[in-house]
Amino acid sequence: MSIELPHYLFVASAVFALGFFGVLLRRNTLVIFMSLELMLSASILALVAFSRYNSTPEAPLYSGNVFVLFIIAIAACEVAVGLAIIVALWRRRQTVDVAEIAEMKN
Amino acid sequence: MIPQLLSLILFSPLVAAGLIWLFGRRNHGIAAGLSLLAAGIAMVAALYLLIVGWNGETVTDVRIEWLTLGNFTLSMGYLLNPVSATMLGVVTFVGFWIHLFSLGYMQGDAGKGRFFGGLSIFMFSMLGIVLADNLWMVFVFWELVGFSSYMLIGHYLTDDAGAASRKAFIVNRVGDLGFLIGIIITYWEFGTTEFVALEAAGVSASTLVGLLLFCGVLGKSAQMPLHVWLPDAMAGPTPISALIHAATMVAAGVFLLARLFFMFSPDALTVILWVGTVTAVCAAIWAFAQRDIKKILAYSTLSQLGYMVAAFGLGTLFGREHGGEGAALYYGIGASMFHLTTHAFFKALLFLGSGSVIHACHHEQDIFRMGGLLKKMPITGLTFLAGVLAISGIPFITAGFFSKDAILYIAMEQNQVVFGLLTFTALLTATYMGRLFFIAFLGKPNSAHAEHAHESSWTMWLPLVVLTVFSLGGGYMVLYPETIRPVLDGYVPHPHGSDHTLFIVISSVAALIGLGGAFLFYGRGASEDRLETKARPLWAFSRSRFFFDEIYGWYVTKVQQRIVDVLDFIDALFIGGLAVRGSAGFVGIFGLLGRSAHTGSLATYVWWFFIGLLLIWGFTSGFLAQIF
Repeated sequence: MSIELPHYLFVASAVFALGFFGVLLRRNTLVIFMSLELMLSASILALVAFSRYNSTPEAPLYSGNVFVLFIIAIAACEVAVGLAIIVALWRRRQTVDVAEIAEMKN
Repeated sequence: MIPQLLSLILFSPLVAAGLIWLFGRRNHGIAAGLSLLAAGIAMVAALYLLIVGWNGETVTDVRIEWLTLGNFTLSMGYLLNPVSATMLGVVTFVGFWIHLFSLGYMQGDAGKGRFFGGLSIFMFSMLGIVLADNLWMVFVFWELVGFSSYMLIGHYLTDDAGAASRKAFIVNRVGDLGFLIGIIITYWEFGTTEFVALEAAGVSASTLVGLLLFCGVLGKSAQMPLHVWLPDAMAGPTPISALIHAATMVAAGVFLLARLFFMFSPDALTVILWVGTVTAVCAAIWAFAQRDIKKILAYSTLSQLGYMVAAFGLGTLFGREHGGEGAALYYGIGASMFHLTTHAFFKALLFLGSGSVIHACHHEQDIFRMGGLLKKMPITGLTFLAGVLAISGIPFITAGFFSKDAILYIAMEQNQVVFGLLTFTALLTATYMGRLFFIAFLGKPNSAHAEHAHESSWTMWLPLVVLTVFSLGGGYMVLYPETIRPVLDGYVPHPHGSDHTLFIVISSVAALIGLGGAFLFYGRGASEDRLETKARPLWAFSRSRFFFDEIYGWYVTKVQQRIVDVLDFIDALFIGGLAVRGSAGFVGIFGLLGRSAHTGSLATYVWWFFIGLLLIWGFTSGFLAQIF
C-alpha cells in the first residue's frame, strides 16, 4: 500500500483537531499554547503534502516547502513572544489558569 | 497714511489689553501705565488726524475679508467721514482724560489690573464701532462693547454688581436681536451692508427695517422701554459710569442713527422722535426721587440720550419733508451729534466730579449725607458747578446751551408738542441738577465722611479742569478741528433773528427757573428730601419710575416662566427623552447584547472565532447565499 495524499491529509486533520480541542478544553495557558502549535504543525504538514502531490517530474514544485520554512521561522518568533507573555503572566498573577483570568468579562 | 493711523488708533488699546492680560493682572502699575499709554496714543493720533492728517473727505479703506460663507463675505474696513471723525475725537479725547482720572480713583483697588484691561478692551471695541464701514462689523464690535460693559459693571464682585451686569447684558440682547434681524433684512434686500454703498444706492428702506435697526439703539442707548439697565449699571466704578454709561458707549446708538440716517422712513423717524421725547421727559421725572448721586446722573444721562434720539428724529424728518436742500438733510445728524459731543464733555465732567466726591467721602453716595463740599473740595465743586450750568443750558457761557438750543429750535419748527415736552424736560433738568448741586455742595456737612473730605490728587482734578473748558466753551467752533466742523456747525440748525432772541429767553428762563426753584425749595445742604416730606404723592410718582422694573419682573417670573416651563417640558419629553435618551437607549440594547458575549472565558472566544470563520467561509464560498 502506497501512501497517498489523503493519508497525509487525514493525519493533518487529526493533529489539527487535537490542537483545536486542546485549545478549547484545556485550562493551562502553557498547554493551550502547545495545542496552538499543534494546529500550526498540522497546517504546514498539509501544505507540504499539497506541494509534493501537485509537482510532477517535468515541473517540480517547491513553493509549499519554501512557505513552510518561512512559517517555521516565524512560528519560532511567535513562540518566543508567547512564552514571554506566559512567564510575565505567571510573575504577575502566580497562575496560568485561563479560568482565573477573566478580566475581559462583560 | 490715514488707514495706518486709524489702525494705530484702533489697535493700540487692544495691544495694551493683551499685554495687561499677560503681565498686568498682578502688577497693577504696569496695567495702569499700559492702558493710559494706549489711550494717549489713540488720542494723539486721532487729534493729529483730525487737525492735520485728514482733509475732511470721506475715506474708505482696508477691506479684510474676515469670513466667507458661500456668496456672503463678512469684511472689515474703515470708513472715516465727518460723523465718524467727530465720534473718534470725542471717544479718544474724553477716553484719555477718564483713563487719567481712573489712575487716581482706582488707587489701591484690588482689581486694578483687571479694571484697566477692561477699559482698554472697551476702548478697542468702541473705536471699532466708530470706524466700521459696514453693519456686520458694527455688530461684532457692538457685542464687544456689550461684553466690556458687562465686565466693568461687575467689577466690584458684589451681588448687586453681578445682577446689574447681567441685567445690562440681557436687556441689550433683547435690543440686539431686533438689530441683528434688521441687519439681515438689510443685507437681503440691498445685497450689502456697507454704509457708503447703501447711501450711494439711494436705498429706500421700509419702516420695518428702520425700526428693527432702531432696536439696537433702544438697547445700547437705553431708550424706553429698554432703559432699565442703565441706572443699575451705576454699580460699576465711577470712571466706567463716566466713560461707558454716559459719554461714549450709550451714545453709540445715536452715532449709529447718524451713520444710517438715510435708512429711516418718515414713519420710522416719527417713532424714533417720540421714543426719544418720552424717554427724555420720563427720565427727567424719575431723577427727582433719587438720593444716590450717580443714580441722579444716570437718569439725567437717559434724559439727554432721549434728547439726542428725539433730535435725530426731528432733524431728519425736517430734512426729508423740506426736500433736503443743502445742510437741511443733515439736520438730524447735526443736532444729535452736536448734543452728543457737548453731552460727552459735561456728563463725563459731572460723573468724574461725582467720582471725586465719592472718593473723598469714602464711597458715600447719598447726596443727603454730603453737604458743604464746595468749601472742602473747591476744584471739584467749581468744575461740578460748570457741569451743572452746562447741562442746564445757561446761555453763551456753556456748551449745553448751543446744542439744546438747536434741538429745541428744530423741535419748534417740526412738532409743537415735542417742543413743549422738551422745553419742560429742560426745566426739569435744571431743577434736579440744581437739587443735586445745592444739597451736596452747599450748606454744612451732613456726615462725618463729608466733614473730613478733602480735594483729590492732580490726576483726578486735572481731567475735571480740562473737561470744564470744553463743557463751557464747547459751543464755540474754535475749539474743534476744521474737519469736523461741518457736523458740529454746518449741519446744526440754529435760530436766527428774532427766533434767536426768543430761544435765548426760553433757555435762560427754563434754566434759571429750574436752578432757582431748586435752590428755594430744597435749600442748601439739606439732610432730608423735602419733596419726600412735603409733597409725598409727587415724590412717589417719581419714585415709582412708572413700574417698568416691576412689570418686567412680573413678566419674567409670571409670564415668561410659564412659557419656559412648557418649553422645558417639551424639551424633557421629546428632545431630551425621545431623541437623546431614546436613541442612546436603543444603541444601548445592542451594547448589552454584545457585552453578554464577553464572558471572560477563553474557550468562548475561541468558539466566537470559530463561528466567525464559518461565517466568512459561508459568505465567500456562496454557501450562505444558497441556503437563504
